[in-house]
Amino acid sequence: MRFACDTGGTFTDLVVEDKSGTVHMFKAPTTPHDPVKGVLDALSVAASEFRMDLADMLGQAEIFIHGTTHSINAIITGKTARTAFLTTQGHPDILVIREAGRSEPFNHKVDYPKPYVPRSLTHEVTGRILSDGSVSRPLDEAGLIKTLAALKEQEVEAIGVCLLWSIVNPEHELRVGELIEQHLPGIPYTLSHRLNPSLREYRRASSTCIDASLKPLMTKYMGSLVSRLQTAGFGGKVFVLTSQGGMMDATHLEKMPIHSVNSGPSMAPLGGQFYAERSIGAQTVIVADTGGTTYDVSLVRNGAIPMTRDMWIGEPYLGHMSGFPSVDVRSIGAGGGSIASVDAGGLLHVGPGSAGAVPGPACFMKGGTWPTLTDACLVLGYIDPDYFLGGKMKLDVEAAKQVIMANIAEPLGMSLLEAAWSIVEVATENMVQAIADITVNQGIDPTNAVLVGGGGAAGLNSVFISKRLGCKHLIIPDTGAALSAAGALISDLTSYYQATCFTASDRFDYAQVRSVLEDLDERCETFRKSAGEHVTSAVQTYVEARYESQIWEIEVEIPNGGIVTEADLADAVAQFHKKHDELFAYHDENSVVEFVTWTKRVNCKLRKNDVGRLRYDTDARNDRAVRMAYFPGFGEVESKVFFQQDVPHDQTFSGPLVVETPHTAVIVDPMSTVLQTPEGTLIVTSKK
Amino acid sequence: MTTDMEISLTGAELAILRHRIEGVNKKMANTVVRTGRSGVLNRARDFSVCILTADCDLLSAAEGLPIHTLCGPDMMARWMLTFHPNLKRGDAFLHNSPYHGNSHAADQVVLVPVFDDEEVHRFTVVVKAHQADIGNSVPTTLHATARDIYEEGAMIFPSVRLQENFKFNEDLIRMCRMRIRVPDQWYGDLLATLGAARIGERELIALGREIGWAKLLSFPAKWFEYSENRMMEALRKMTSGQAEALSIHDAFPGTTADGIEIRASVRVDAEDARVHVDFTGCPDCLPNGLNLTEATSRTAAMVGIFNSIDSSVPKNAGSIRRIMIDLRENAIVGIPHHPTSCSLATTNIADHATNCVQMAIAAISEGSGMAETGYAFSPTTGTISGIDPRNGKPFVNMVFLGHTAGAATGHGDRWLTLLHVGNGGLCNIDGAELTELYHPVVIRERKLVTDSEGAGKFIGASSMLVEYGPVGGDLELVFASDGTDHAPQGVRGGKPGGKADQYIRFPSGELKQLDKVARVILREGDTTVGIACGGGGYGSPFERDPQTVANDVLEKWISRERAEKIYGVAIDADGSVNREKTQTLREAVCK
Repeated sequence: MRFACDTGGTFTDLVVEDKSGTVHMFKAPTTPHDPVKGVLDALSVAASEFRMDLADMLGQAEIFIHGTTHSINAIITGKTARTAFLTTQGHPDILVIREAGRSEPFNHKVDYPKPYVPRSLTHEVTGRILSDGSVSRPLDEAGLIKTLAALKEQEVEAIGVCLLWSIVNPEHELRVGELIEQHLPGIPYTLSHRLNPSLREYRRASSTCIDASLKPLMTKYMGSLVSRLQTAGFGGKVFVLTSQGGMMDATHLEKMPIHSVNSGPSMAPLGGQFYAERSIGAQTVIVADTGGTTYDVSLVRNGAIPMTRDMWIGEPYLGHMSGFPSVDVRSIGAGGGSIASVDAGGLLHVGPGSAGAVPGPACFMKGGTWPTLTDACLVLGYIDPDYFLGGKMKLDVEAAKQVIMANIAEPLGMSLLEAAWSIVEVATENMVQAIADITVNQGIDPTNAVLVGGGGAAGLNSVFISKRLGCKHLIIPDTGAALSAAGALISDLTSYYQATCFTASDRFDYAQVRSVLEDLDERCETFRKSAGEHVTSAVQTYVEARYESQIWEIEVEIPNGGIVTEADLADAVAQFHKKHDELFAYHDENSVVEFVTWTKRVNCKLRKNDVGRLRYDTDARNDRAVRMAYFPGFGEVESKVFFQQDVPHDQTFSGPLVVETPHTAVIVDPMSTVLQTPEGTLIVTSKK
Repeated sequence: MTTDMEISLTGAELAILRHRIEGVNKKMANTVVRTGRSGVLNRARDFSVCILTADCDLLSAAEGLPIHTLCGPDMMARWMLTFHPNLKRGDAFLHNSPYHGNSHAADQVVLVPVFDDEEVHRFTVVVKAHQADIGNSVPTTLHATARDIYEEGAMIFPSVRLQENFKFNEDLIRMCRMRIRVPDQWYGDLLATLGAARIGERELIALGREIGWAKLLSFPAKWFEYSENRMMEALRKMTSGQAEALSIHDAFPGTTADGIEIRASVRVDAEDARVHVDFTGCPDCLPNGLNLTEATSRTAAMVGIFNSIDSSVPKNAGSIRRIMIDLRENAIVGIPHHPTSCSLATTNIADHATNCVQMAIAAISEGSGMAETGYAFSPTTGTISGIDPRNGKPFVNMVFLGHTAGAATGHGDRWLTLLHVGNGGLCNIDGAELTELYHPVVIRERKLVTDSEGAGKFIGASSMLVEYGPVGGDLELVFASDGTDHAPQGVRGGKPGGKADQYIRFPSGELKQLDKVARVILREGDTTVGIACGGGGYGSPFERDPQTVANDVLEKWISRERAEKIYGVAIDADGSVNREKTQTLREAVCK
């Protein structure tokens, strides 16, 4: 048995693959004060459904994969360790100045962000290394020892160390580390060149300080998770999902907790890519995960999970840069709880504000008074008020109608249904723009892509998003309601190793590049050995390149694992021109190409077989076989309701219709058709 | 805008089309920033992209520099129509003429007319990008001492054909390559700029085909109407009144010894929802590079107004209808005549003009407007050039090593890194490592200066100090630093922010002050110390929340002495506010 468990903001999702390969899905409320409890609750729900003792069930499990929001929540709520920042003398304000810039030049109501580590906990270290690695000023150890004494006085709980050019010559940083161990034994610290050897001091310093600040609490959390699982009867391996879309052994992650910042959401693209590939062999896949308050989107191209170096924790320019590559998942404030309103100029807005879980949409009858996307879907007939969460929660249609009428329909002079449809349409457009951003910024035409809808609310408007983008198909996997956890089940064990080595096509340093890549290969090999004896593995090599004097790089794959001959170099340059043209509509043959950061990615396969189908108890069916649903241009039309497990395979059905499970409802409009594959994936296709 | 058929649009459709148009805009901007070659583009993001109607009305300028976009693209598009009445698909025009709607000559613009499927001109896309060099007589694009355009030396393109049938006018390219320093960098930036315009063209055509041209063409008029209504609503929230503000630009070569007095008279008519700005009291054009163009004069006023109201009001031809601006011919803030030099038309005097407008609004309506933002540019933001000893290649680039300048507003503290008011904080600051990798320099120090903030109930930015110098050879540095004599002022009792300053430090350690406008050679071992201007405060420092002041002390923004003397807040040894003593201090001043 394999378990994948994703602790989200509201629900802890658990996906279990039993010995026969069949997949089961369970949900339990997240318990923010002690998230491990939510994990154990979800496991208990599963055990009771399987009619097994929890210890017996866990005793049969080989692997427990965990996605957690514990570190991101600690950052957002300011519950991380009291952390000091040691920086190069003369550069105390790296975390204050950042890289400057902002997104709204006329908005003077936004506060300038506070640095991740306050100025009062920032200390300068005398010593300077230049860009060529030479020591321009030696390290002042006596001064540093005084500073460390001051940190003790300040009751610091963790230390981030980032010195200029440590990525080229780490001797000063290493010595700072030694002195910390000597003078402040037991205080966790992070050295920037070890954690994140990349150019740009703000990003590196930011990731270093974030990492250090997470060490005390993530060490404790991981320890608690592992020991309580073991106490409950689990004897297998515990892995944690990383921001980079891989998994790390729990004890390994404790040492670099920043990798868990985007744990969880990072798996949705992996799940989406898998299902899109398996169902129709799609190469360009937009993966969208709809939650209650956020809409997370990512783009998978040629089977490659998208990565970004620019991951912000919080809003761009206002939050903190993780400084780390991460699966490129963007979030916008749009989801079932998004609030609709009409402004003074008569413009309809939906989101980014959300009614959240409490009070929630008006139809939840928990005191919500603003119309939300969920209310609109209820009024339009997309949601069955008696079958929400499989009937576990009753919804109030009248309340939804009333708030939409008063707040939207009347101010806009529309009918109720038109108003509800407008809410869906504007929310759809916001989601489309989020997708346009990630496709547009990568020069991808969404009309050649397939959209994968994940999350419990995905089925409600994904067909409209898909149509608006002109996607070839919309795909909704049976495990879509827990796409991240499902992604984790099929995920490989991966790691990245990176090094900076600057060279250019007109003066290529073959020897230096070879030495850098050999070192990366060695580190991949060490990782591979740690994954166990019988895994199959592969290593891919990439370089980030750009035209001379550009500063933003494009990643290009190096097929042979290295650049050894002139022909290899010519290939890499040609690849770069091609990719630049693809992304930005031009290339410049006459320009020198510069190579900056080299990456090796090692992949260890943990499973040999495909993941099986999801099963629900058949008594979970909705009794209602038809309902009225509104579609623009058609009005309210009678729409058939199918239980997903009952839909015959490989047959095409024309909308209007609804495909349901206790966790989802997939709306298929009159201009679209749906087909279910034998593996349980819905493929929706719209007429153009 | 002429439309073949009026189609009514609902609020929802309007919202959707707004997003779609902004989406096109963003895609254009992304191309410039990701593929630009010079630091001015890819690090400082000194560029803008916008979409105009065929009638030359500004439709959308998402992510654009404020001083670039509000007025100017419309004027340039009109000149394009005048000079090239027979536009066709595949055309592209190069435009940088200060006398034909542009800002300063270094802001090189590509205009591309966009045609529908019946080959009717429907939109014009405009991409403006500040060049690292434009062929000036000295290696800087901000040539403060140039007596006229001839001494400035910039190449001038009054809407000149760049492409026909999507093919370059190679004659033009060859001419530019002979006159512009670092021609490969210039050409790379031109490719990025043109690429962005072509992407805008492609996207607009795709949008027209998808939703129907008739529907797309119905959008602008409706959008302008909505925007004007939002503007009227914002102006009605202000207090009516009239005020004049004065701001003095430091004395530069070609000015009187007292500097230049810039004045704006601003009248807010809340009932009629109009705002009127009068710049006719400004002095005549000067024989130097400080003069504004007509476009930047108008835009300067608009920036001051938009900085003072609800930022969600869309900035386009619709909202701008509520703004009246009086300019005088041959005035420094006004309408210059050829061959007046306008080399610094986007920064110095433009910033003073904008600051006057927002300070006047602060005087008219409490809680509105802003204090004065800091001025441009000490050596922290200068142009460096030389031969890179690591590869023997010449380089010239503007570096953005450190800036603050943000002013306090009527409702909160400054945005720290604003650069200057016409930039709005969009500009990035160059990382130390990136700078040292790209140029043969070392950045010895970069930090905010304690006790240099514009004190007030809400504070303006502290100054920033940057010390840097060459590695392995000489470095030529050119800069023109306003704000050295006249600090950015506070409003409504707020105090001025830190002044700019500039020095050279020799290997002996000797520190020598430099002229405000200078062209200096730094030898190996020399460094320059630049101090960038802070910003003014809003409201009396004695009204600042004492707890916030205590935190400012803890975080080393200000000293304990300053807290006591300027803010009237006494801080105990443990860092907490001494309430009693604070009350006594504050009451003493009120009496």
